[in-house]
Amino acid sequence: MSNVLDRALDGAVSTYAVSTQGLTKRYGDEVALNAVDLRIPEGSVFVLLGANGAGKSTALKLLLNLERADSGVAEVFGLDTRRHGPRVRAQVGYVPERHDAGYRWMTCDRLLKHVAAYYPAWDQTYADRLIGALEIRRNRKIGGLSKGDTRRLQLLMALAHRPPLLVLDEPTDGLDPVVRKRVLTLLAEHLADSPTTVLITTHHIHEVENLADHVGILRAGRLVIQVPREELQRTVRRYRLDLPDQWEAPRDLVIPAPRSGRVREVQWTIVGDERAVTERLTTSGARVREVVSLPLEEAALAFLPDEGTR
Amino acid sequence: MSHPALHPPPRFANVVREQVRAVALALRVPAMAALAVLVLGSGLAIGEFITGGGAVDFAPELSMVPAFVGLLFPIGVWKGENRFGTSFLWLLPVDRRQHALAKVAAGWVCLMVTVLFFLVWLFVLSLVTGGNILGEHAVQLLPSTVIPEARTLDPAALRAVRYAPDPVFWLVPFTAATGTYLLTSAVTLGVRYPVRWIIGVPLSVLLVSALGAAARIDWLKLLASRLLRFVFDGRYGLDALFTARAESLKTAVVLTTGKTVSVWRAFPDVGDWALATTLWIGAGLAALMAAALRQREK
Amino acid sequence: MVVNIDPRDARPLYLQIMDEVRRALVVGSLKPEDPVPSVRELASELVVNPRTVLQAYRELEREGVLYVRRGLGTFVALNTQPAGDERRELGLAVARRALLEARRNGLGLEELFTMIREVAADENDLAAEAPLTTGSNST
Repeated sequence: MSNVLDRALDGAVSTYAVSTQGLTKRYGDEVALNAVDLRIPEGSVFVLLGANGAGKSTALKLLLNLERADSGVAEVFGLDTRRHGPRVRAQVGYVPERHDAGYRWMTCDRLLKHVAAYYPAWDQTYADRLIGALEIRRNRKIGGLSKGDTRRLQLLMALAHRPPLLVLDEPTDGLDPVVRKRVLTLLAEHLADSPTTVLITTHHIHEVENLADHVGILRAGRLVIQVPREELQRTVRRYRLDLPDQWEAPRDLVIPAPRSGRVREVQWTIVGDERAVTERLTTSGARVREVVSLPLEEAALAFLPDEGTR
Repeated sequence: MSHPALHPPPRFANVVREQVRAVALALRVPAMAALAVLVLGSGLAIGEFITGGGAVDFAPELSMVPAFVGLLFPIGVWKGENRFGTSFLWLLPVDRRQHALAKVAAGWVCLMVTVLFFLVWLFVLSLVTGGNILGEHAVQLLPSTVIPEARTLDPAALRAVRYAPDPVFWLVPFTAATGTYLLTSAVTLGVRYPVRWIIGVPLSVLLVSALGAAARIDWLKLLASRLLRFVFDGRYGLDALFTARAESLKTAVVLTTGKTVSVWRAFPDVGDWALATTLWIGAGLAALMAAALRQREK
Repeated sequence: MVVNIDPRDARPLYLQIMDEVRRALVVGSLKPEDPVPSVRELASELVVNPRTVLQAYRELEREGVLYVRRGLGTFVALNTQPAGDERRELGLAVARRALLEARRNGLGLEELFTMIREVAADENDLAAEAPLTTGSNST
């Protein structure tokens, strides 16, 4: 089974499945995306993070030409999304943010037949297996499905035609923890069976910790960082410090919160090269007691706005 | 190799075929209701026939039902679809405008099947009640196309003629339904709230007319009725599309004897009908294409 | 073979997987000629991109630790000895972790040694005291 992957790894060098240039989208006065240069290498699992309203869903919709960008270019497998919208969508398995699976009067079974007609690459054997794995009840009407049921159906529709690109907007939203684990396992198996590039947005960062190869973080529409996940984890550390009484933070160091009162021991998450940061802290008079690396979720949080700050 | 082998998008014929199935499914409930109405109608007609009433002649061009069905069809076809904005339909790998037109085409196919079913029902009813399946019936024809004033017409001036409609008029229900379907589909694709327009426009004209009559504003009433007359009764008006003018060519006249009788001014002309139909369907297609411009890939 | 990925470890995942395979060899849960989990299985179990697992396996193959039999799977190489320095690497990693913890809690090096010996002694005592469960309380 790894023959498929073997060939994929041998062939694809450093091409991008998704590549955007200066992608900008405004809704009235609000800037949803601001000059975003997204680069998703083929075969990678790219996790796009950001607070609510940071522009994640908008970015995904633009990639499928479901919205029109105000400026900038987006390409999927070399296809300009604006000029080749339908062709791009034929390469993509999309799970949208909304829990809307189509015609409410159709049964799940009927809807799957309907969608299968639109994707010549539909693998019915695989679809049948997924129906079992995702526990989809064939004869339920779409209108009668719960949020979780709908989500699982949308996942099935995205996976069954083995698209070269999966675009998953909060794929585990509305699912209970057991099902969430199952979905992610299915995703890993799917990746083993068919070479796929995956773009995921999620609020459950720890779930995709091991799956993610690359991480991108959107903050108020700007892509503030876009790196392999090891690099993200490397550039964020938690420092346990002893601060002297009259201590001033070095000006070029971003610390999470101003020191309150005469607190002696603090624990701060700071972005930057560990050696350089430690040096700045030490020369400023702080004593670095301990430096700890963080799991992906907490490392990413360092780039997201705090409550109250923006 | 630079990119993986790309998946092909679906063939358009397959898209239309799949839409026909989806539309047929969507119209299941109205279809059941219509079936119930037909059953009721059959019951009433047969009941009347048994109690000595008249037979039902098979005159497909006289029924305005197909045109009416064509008018309402798009409402069912597009039920639940968000035509402007995001909808499941637009997520699929088909160009948005083409997809919209595919759905309209699919609806048309279902409409033709519906009209055919209606005609078959009418035909069977006609057979069962012993009516004339060629739609032949005796009519009174006026001496000229000018409608005479009340009580000026001598009965002897009327000619009794056996009218046999041209078999080509069996196409009328299909073309009539197509015409109205295209026009209302155009409205549905082009406007956010089509029902307001489809029902609102004729309703407001009627209201204006009634208002004019009630307030005795003669010119208003005249304007409204002129408008209706022009659109409907004209040589190439809507009635030409709906019934080859069989409706508007009939009129009621009061004879010198005081008796009121239904007479025909002239017979429906095949040439006129063909031209009118072509004009209306042409207009419908043009409107549809214009409306489809609103549906575009972002 | 039990594979544990440490979420805090900032090293590339494929390196962590490679280390886990080596650890299994040292500990003895993997022996020469044993099959290792398929790429698909391991990716599914760890919820990891299969490419990462494949990368780890390929590296290990390159180092001679694993080999692939077409159609049958991936196996531990015949002549793989848990090298002495593999064991040493593991030991050093354990020591590093212990020292880190000690420092964190304000313990000095000598204190740490003393504590370790004490705990080990207690555990030995407990093992000696534990009653044998063969036929002592028969009815």
